[in-house]
Amino acid sequence: MSSFEKVGDGFSLDLTLDEANILINLVEQLLELLGEGDFFHHYDSSDPLAQLLAMPSEIVTPDDPVLLRLLPNAYADPEAASDFRRYTEPQLRGAKQKNLRLVREELTILVDENHGGVIEELNADVWLKALNDLRIALSVRLEIDETSFDKFEMLPDEDPQKPVYAVYFWLGWLQENLLGLLL
Amino acid sequence: MAKTLTKDQVNISELIDRPWITIVWDDPVNLMTYVTHVFIKLFGFSKERAHELMMQVHDEGRAVVSTGTREEMERDVQRLHEHGLWATLQRDDKI
Repeated sequence: MSSFEKVGDGFSLDLTLDEANILINLVEQLLELLGEGDFFHHYDSSDPLAQLLAMPSEIVTPDDPVLLRLLPNAYADPEAASDFRRYTEPQLRGAKQKNLRLVREELTILVDENHGGVIEELNADVWLKALNDLRIALSVRLEIDETSFDKFEMLPDEDPQKPVYAVYFWLGWLQENLLGLLL
Repeated sequence: MAKTLTKDQVNISELIDRPWITIVWDDPVNLMTYVTHVFIKLFGFSKERAHELMMQVHDEGRAVVSTGTREEMERDVQRLHEHGLWATLQRDDKI
């Protein structure tokens, strides 16, 4: 079983090739959902001042429940939430993309060379946030609640959702493993 | 002789200046250890205080994690969102 290790002041992660492939696939799917590098792909501004300042005149609240959970409303009041989103969402989206890209970069080395191995001197803070965002994304699709672990254990092996649950719980295990080294 | 403000110059609610608060909401995904870690990292809480607040989120469904100006709370909410925690801000409804 893969695990993080503390090496001097840093951290490393030992992964099998299968694990690295699973992780990189998830990272790429989430990057795609977040819109890769294009922060403004989902708005169309005709406000000349906003265009000048590269500031969207409005950013719509995401329809996709995964995006809404990753980029949530900051206010209960829809108008205040929308205003806040307009000023802050590109930065929030960018921060999440940056974490995922760093993780992808580190995984690419293993995946490209087609073998498992150790990722040395990884940034624990980036990995924690990226693993958390991946878990959040999967949890929305799997409709995770307090009963999900029992449900997972009772699922027959041939159930197509079983591997997805398995990956979700594996990511939680990995994250807990890294947190154990930090706390 | 001392002057006093006329009645319409005194706006009590502005004088009291109710602060804004940041609330973290419970969700079934974020690990208890992760939430504690984020509270320590972002707010500089002791391990004990961070654990206590995390348990409050878990048991009561929400906890107030910071208090201050609207701008400060917006910054805290943004940082919590960067860490995947579900947070909102509002005016403190206690007077």
